[in-house]
Order: sequence, then structure tokens, then C-alpha cells
Amino acid sequence: MKKIFNSFNKNGHKIEKTPYLYLSPTLILMAVLLVIPIFMVLRYSFFDNVIINNNPVFVGFQNYINVLTDDRFLIAVKNTLFFVSVSVIAHLVIGLYFAMLLNTDYLGEKTKGIFRVIYALPWMFTASVIAILWKMMYNPHGIINYLLQISNLSSANIAWLGSRSYALMAVTLINIWARYPFYMISILAGLQGISGDLYEAAAIDGATPVKRFFYITLPQLKPILISLLTLDFVWTIQQFALIWLTTGGGPISATETLSTYIYKQAFSKYQYSQASASAGIVLLICTILAIFYAKQQKART
Amino acid sequence: MYGKKKWYIKILIIIALLLGALFPAFPILWMVLNSFKPNPEIFAWPPTWISKAFSFEPYIEIFQSPEKLRFFFNSYLISFFVVLLTLIISILAAYAFSRFEFPGKGILNAMIISVQAVPPITLLIPYLGLVVTLHLYNTYGALILTYLLFTLPYAILMMTAYMNTLPQELDEAVMIDGGSRLKALWYVLVPTSVPGLVSVGMYTFMRAWNEYLFALTLTKTNDMRTVPVGISLLMGQHAYEWNQMLAMSVMGSLPVLILFLFFQKYFIAGMTAGSVKH
Amino acid sequence: MAGNILIIIKRENINANIILSAKYNYNHLEVEVMLSIKKGMVVLVVLAVLFSMSGTGFAQDVSLEFQQWWGVELPEGELRDIVDGYTEETGIEIELLSNPYADTKDQISAGAATGTMADVVGLDGSWVYDFAVQGSIANLSKLMEADGYDDSQLSDQIRVNGSTYMIPVANFAYPMFVNMDLLKEAGVTELPKTRSEFIEAAEAVTENTDAYGWIIPLSTSTPSGIQNNFMGWLWASGGSMLENGRPNLVGNEKLIKTVEFQKTLFDKELVSPGVYAMTESDMVEEFANGRVAFMIDSLAHLTTLRRGDTDLNMAMMKVPTMDNYNGKSGIGVANWGIGVASNTEYKAESMDFIEYLMSPEVNARIAVAANAFPGNVNAEPEYEGADPLFLDAFEIYKDSYAINEFTGLPTSEQLMRVFAENLQLYLEGDYDSADEMLAVIEDEWEKAFE
Repeated sequence: MKKIFNSFNKNGHKIEKTPYLYLSPTLILMAVLLVIPIFMVLRYSFFDNVIINNNPVFVGFQNYINVLTDDRFLIAVKNTLFFVSVSVIAHLVIGLYFAMLLNTDYLGEKTKGIFRVIYALPWMFTASVIAILWKMMYNPHGIINYLLQISNLSSANIAWLGSRSYALMAVTLINIWARYPFYMISILAGLQGISGDLYEAAAIDGATPVKRFFYITLPQLKPILISLLTLDFVWTIQQFALIWLTTGGGPISATETLSTYIYKQAFSKYQYSQASASAGIVLLICTILAIFYAKQQKART
Repeated sequence: MYGKKKWYIKILIIIALLLGALFPAFPILWMVLNSFKPNPEIFAWPPTWISKAFSFEPYIEIFQSPEKLRFFFNSYLISFFVVLLTLIISILAAYAFSRFEFPGKGILNAMIISVQAVPPITLLIPYLGLVVTLHLYNTYGALILTYLLFTLPYAILMMTAYMNTLPQELDEAVMIDGGSRLKALWYVLVPTSVPGLVSVGMYTFMRAWNEYLFALTLTKTNDMRTVPVGISLLMGQHAYEWNQMLAMSVMGSLPVLILFLFFQKYFIAGMTAGSVKH
Repeated sequence: MAGNILIIIKRENINANIILSAKYNYNHLEVEVMLSIKKGMVVLVVLAVLFSMSGTGFAQDVSLEFQQWWGVELPEGELRDIVDGYTEETGIEIELLSNPYADTKDQISAGAATGTMADVVGLDGSWVYDFAVQGSIANLSKLMEADGYDDSQLSDQIRVNGSTYMIPVANFAYPMFVNMDLLKEAGVTELPKTRSEFIEAAEAVTENTDAYGWIIPLSTSTPSGIQNNFMGWLWASGGSMLENGRPNLVGNEKLIKTVEFQKTLFDKELVSPGVYAMTESDMVEEFANGRVAFMIDSLAHLTTLRRGDTDLNMAMMKVPTMDNYNGKSGIGVANWGIGVASNTEYKAESMDFIEYLMSPEVNARIAVAANAFPGNVNAEPEYEGADPLFLDAFEIYKDSYAINEFTGLPTSEQLMRVFAENLQLYLEGDYDSADEMLAVIEDEWEKAFE
């Protein structure tokens, strides 16, 4: 959409400055506090053993090569892929399902209001609390095993976080629990923005609820869903606290993700350069995604 | 609406809602119940629901400790300023994104998202160095500015989407009447954006209230620290004060809960922004 | 779209005056925006300055920052009281800074890299090498020499390349805790002295009660279980994982036996479930709830285990030795160590403060309050009023030699983590033999020693 104010541009080139003025607080903040540190991190990634060493040597892409050929890094990538894709899809599905439930016009505003608050509860806790809460529940002698046992679904005291086969799934479930409300609320709002006329027309045409969902609801929600997926991808890929405080990347390497890998590189092995290189790789992936997102945004307007 | 409202559908929806509510609510309920138990009982098998030694002691201990109350005060103060500044800065930025076409718009848009992608742990040391250079170490200012960086991308994205849904005629009317752009923004766009502002404000508050890593690293004295750090201080080298930790988290989330209840009407409406077609 | 077109048409109908006024508005706006942004920035800066003043404060005299995690572990106000004694003596103010234990190491790293490290810092032996090599902590040998301090009164000094970088203030022994009620229920009448006896006792407990015989925290996020709970078995039988300060794992008979012994316990399912993700504090909760009969644990936990309404009937014993071992036993120790930041302005004052904490009387007081053994050999802590179990453990301690081979090793925590991960693999049956596992670990360890 061509903005009306653009017509002023012809009157004088000075006008170009206006949007930048409005953006200046944001840009100054980001330039000083974010771009400088990010630049430093990227710079570290081309040097040998920064921070520990007073006179680091330029090593080119050696750190990147080291990281990319590290088996551990590849395991972390694999686990992160699982963690992120399952989380993001589950967030979407659960968020959508709950939002559809809460959007019903079979219930009064008050009832829906109460359920909205209950459904948004996980959003209100800091990551370390969520981690200790779930660790308590996942304990072999914790409430989850107890409930499974009294309902005869299991007889063992399963070590959810301590087992190679369950740990990654268990940690992913925590992340699903912690972050779905963000989707739910956003989708709920999106649903309220869909015009009722569309549904009425569909009802007259005799469309089934399933068809209405796939042909009206989903397409109408598409822009908001894409924004949510992009943001969620970027946030989930660097989820650290929940994983570190529950499993620390173990058992063995079952829950090793990029964030725990980077942490160990930096603060346990004191290989800041390699940690920076890993961070550079994550930044690259997310930047590509962000460019796609921005392009998609442009197409929308 | 479409179709008749059938009573059995209503029952089914209520059942589905109640069952669904177990997922978010059960862990929280379990946490609240545990916060009233003496420490060893938290890990008892079979688990106890309501403790025989039910006690408000963990809560009382928090109220009796000026140091712990200070954590709450700091968290409120910091979150308040973060919300305020985020709203002001993001309104200005969103206005630029929503009402102007300018060179570099796409790049800036992509950058605002991608800068979030650097794992905070790797930023920690250079960032701390920067904060020290700016003489902000161990100040509220450091935390407020840091949280602005976390909240602004989402705030700008959402506010831009929201302003895009407001017709240009609104601000033009003011300008044609001889008002300035800022006037148009302040007297027309801001009041009509209240729902959007509330939703961004809520999100911002939660981000600032819950942040841990930088809250710990950028402060050194306990009188500058926030609730999440206070909770971690209860995790000792050898043993955790489970009940106090849980009590503190319950207390920490209560204000957020109340805010949410109070604002939720606007909140839902505010998020509508991104979905409205133009 | 339609709306905009409409407006454009409208605009065309309006005369040029409006365009002029719009232009004027633009200039006006620019000034306004500039002003308001400037105002905003001024407010930000003022806020920042205000905040920074409220945060730091300017001391007139010498004031030392002492960062540690001990205050939280000691009875409330005890550490404050102890350091106030120093202020009374010297007029030097001590500011106590506390961090959650789990984050202390990272925070010191970050602080050292940015010059925000406290003057005096509490240290764990496993961090010392890295901080010393990175130049974060000062060489205490020099400071002691400059002061003419008699270091023969120190129970131990942690050295890197021959110089002291950390002094242990308090030592925590790791004896074996026993739940006597469970042993009674299982019909075990005598405390096991050897590994075979231990297996028998653990079997009896696991079979005859709801509890398990043994528990070992193998979490990889805090892998200290390798140091405190695993190596304790090796050291008790006089074994060592090092030779001339370098890794000696492959072909180390005692170590192989110890690894295989643990596997036996796991294979017989005598070990509490969930240990792969378990931390030391999780282990203590299991023991406190009577779900496990034996654990190796820090004496510092005694208070935790005594708190609340637990009526745990406990005993202390030596970690059982290999069946035919008759020599002296090593007992694992962890310590609260202390060091000085290398970038402090007040090196001499910091050393003086450390000397105060190490002085026999003060050191004895810290030891008593922390359930620990003193770092000064001349300290005479009065344990009379102490828990009888503590006194039992003290006897065990005196009868053994204190040892912790991870102290002062490079990237010590990472060494433990590598060990923990591979031990888990071995216990899961991924390795054919203990020696095969040890070879992999030694390979990894060697890299750190290069």
C-alpha cells in the first residue's frame, strides 16, 4: 500500500528523516546495547581463545570448523531440531485448540474469563520456578508416577528425566506447557477478529464445521500464525533455563541442545571463541528466518 | 448465529474446557499445595495432598524478611519502568513502520527479529563489560535498559500491526486541522490503541518480572535484586528451601494474575491487531 | 485502499494552502520530535545516574567486598557477625555479596572478565585452576610472603604451578550416612565394612523394604557426584585417579574395580531410580524420606536432615573398602575456599581479612557454625554441644586422610561431567568393559591437561 505521506517526498528530500526520528530511540538503544555486544561476539568467533587469553590470535573460520565437526554439536543440532519442532507444533495445536474452545459462543463472558485466566497460568512463572516444579513432579517418587500408578497405567517408578528414552520428550513437554499460552491468547484474539459473516455464509452453503475450520478459520489466522511461529522459533531455539535446570543436557547427551552446548563451551570448558562461533551459527539461521519473515510481512502490506 | 445452540454441545464444551484446564492448572495447584508443606513432606511417597502440618510459615517468613520484600519492591519498580518506556518507544517506532515507507525499512524489520537470536549466554560477558563502561553496573537502570531490548521487538511488531489496522484518515484529519504529526499520534492513535497498549504492556511486564540471567549478572548487592534471583538464593549449595521457594513464586505470580484478571478484556481485544485484514 | 484513494481525491479539491500548512506542520513536527526525543534521552540519562548512585554508594575508607555463598548456609546473621568482628578490629568495612551457589562460578568468570569481581571471593577447589590460569585470582603465596604469614598453620593450600591460589577456610567431610531403621527392617545387624558386605546389606534392604540400598547423584548439570559420591569409594580403598598430577585411569586396577562395583549395584537394581538426572540435593531429599539406606554425603547436610519433623534414625560410617584392603582410608572432602581477586586495589587488606578468617578463634567459630572441620590446624572448635553424629563423623575423619583429587585440576567440573556421562553409558551397557570406558575418559581428560 502506498502511503499518502509519500506524496510529500517530492516537496523536499528532508522528509526522509522523519521516520528515522521516530525510530531513533529504538535504534540508539539497539545500536549501543545490542549491536555492539553482538559485534563483539562475532569478532570473538574469529579469534583463538578470547577473554582467557590477553593476546588472542586471528584464526579465521577455524572455530566454526571445530564446532561444525564436533559430534556433540551435531547431536545438539539433532536434539534442538526435535525440541523446537515438537514444541512449536504442539504450541500451535494446543494454542489453537484451547483458543477455539474459549471462543465458543455457548458460554457467557464471565465463565470464559475465568477459563482464560486458568489457561494462561503457566505464562506467569519464571523459568527457574517452572523447572523446579516439573522436576518435582517428574521425580520417580513424584506426583506424575503416583497418578499413573493409582490409575493403573504404570507400575514402575519411572525416572522421566533420568532416562535416555524419555528425557528429551519430558523436557519438551515442560517447554510446551510453559509457552503455549502465548499462542492461545494471540490466536484467541485473532479468532475474534474474523468476521461472523464469513461463517454465516458458509453455514448457509451447508459447510461442515471441519470445512469451516480449514477454509475460513485457518486462512484468516494465517498472518498471525506466521508471526507467532517465527517468534516462537527464535525463542525456543535458545531455551536454556528449562533444560539446564532439569537435566543439564543429560542423561549422557539425550537432552543436549544448542543452548546447553554453548553454555558448556563458554563456562565449563572456557572456550568462549567456540561458544561464540556456535552463537554465530544460531544467529545466521535465525537471520535467514527473519528475512523470510520480513519478506512475508512486506507481501502482506 | 449459525445453527441452534444445543444444550448437549454446551455440556460437551464445558467438559472439554474442564479437562483441558487440568493441563495448565494441575502443576500450579500442586505447587501451591506444596508451598504449605514442611520441606521433607514435599517428596513424600505416597504424595500427600494437604499436609497435616499445613502451615503459612513459608509465607510469614517472607513477610518478615525485609531483604525478601525488597526483591518484590525491586521487581515492581523495574517492571513498571520497563512497561512505561517500552510503550513510549514502541509507539514511536510503530508509528514510523506503520505510516511511512522509507529506505531500509525491510532490513530494520528483519534486524529487530534476528537480534533476538543471539543466545543471551554468549552475550553475557561483552554485555556486562558494556554496562560497566556505562557506569550502570548494579543499578536499576541497567536492568531497565536491558529488558527494553528484550521487550521492544515484540512490542514494535505488535504495535505496528495494530496501527496498520487503524485507518490513515484518523491521523490525517488531525493534521489537516493544523495539528502536527505528534499531536495526531498522541491525541488520535494512542487513545484508539489502548487495547494494543494493554496487551503489549502485559507481555512486557511478564518478561521483565520473570527474567533471571541478567538480573543476576548485572547486579551484585541483594538490595538491587529481583524476585527470580531471590528465589534462586534459596537454592543452597546442598539443600533447597523448597517451601519458601514455592511460596515466593506463588507470591510473585499473584500480582501478575491480578493484573491479568483486571486487564484481560483489553488484552484479548488488543491482540486482535495482527489478524485484521486490510 | 479505497479510503486512501478517496482522500487523495479530496485533497486534490482542497487548495494549495493546506499543502503549505502541511509543510509548516512538518517542520514544526520535526522540531517537536527532536525536542521530545532529546527530552526522553535526558530523562533516561538522569534516571540512569540516579539509579547508579543509589546502587553503588561511595565509601570514604577502605571497604572490601566479600562474595560468597556461605551466608545462606550458615545460621542467619552468623557470617555478618563474624565479619563485623573484623571491622571492629581494623575499621575496614566488609560488604557481603551473595550469589546462588549454582551460579557463583559463572558470575566470577564474568566478573573477572569485566573487572567487577569482588575483592575477596569464596571459591570451590574445582574452580581454582581455571581462575588462576586466566589470571582472575591473585597469587596468595606472594601476599603471604609479603605479610610474613606463617602458612604452616593452614591445613591445606590449593596450588597451581607451585603457587597458592586458594586457602580452605572450612573442610566438609563426606562420610557414609546410614538409615538405621531401614537396616533394622531389612534384618541387617552389622554395618558393612567391605564392598561385598555392602552389596549384601543393600540387597537385603532392597528386597525386604520399600526402599533401595544405594543412591548416587549423576546429574551432568552439576556433576559433583563423581567427586563426592563416586570417587569416595576409590579413595576409601587407598586408590588414586592421578599419577604425578596427571590422569591415570586406563589400567588403574583399583579404579576399574570401583567402576565394576558400581555396575554390580546397578545391575542388581539396588540403586534408587532416576539417578542420572539427580543432583546432590535431590539425593538428600530421597534419603530424608527414608527411601534409601546408604548415601555418601557432606556433613554439612546434617542440619538439613535434622530439620522439620523427620525422626530419621541415622548413623555415620566409613565408606566400605575393597574386600582385602587393610590400609588407611581416604575420606572425600570439599571445602569452602577463599581467594583474592587479582584486580583488587586492596590486595594487602584482602590478605589481612583472610588471615582474620583463618585465625584460630574465628576459624573455629566458622567450623562449628558450618558443621565443618577448621582450615587452621591450631583452631580448637568446641564441638561439645554438637550433634553426636557429627562427633562420630569427626572420629572417622581423624582416622582417615582427607583427599579430593579434583581440587586444582584444569576445567575440573568438565572432567567430572565427562566422567559422569561415560559412566552412565557404561552402566547402560554401551561399553564392553570398564577399561574401555576409562580409555575414552582419559582421552578426553588429557586434552584439558595439555
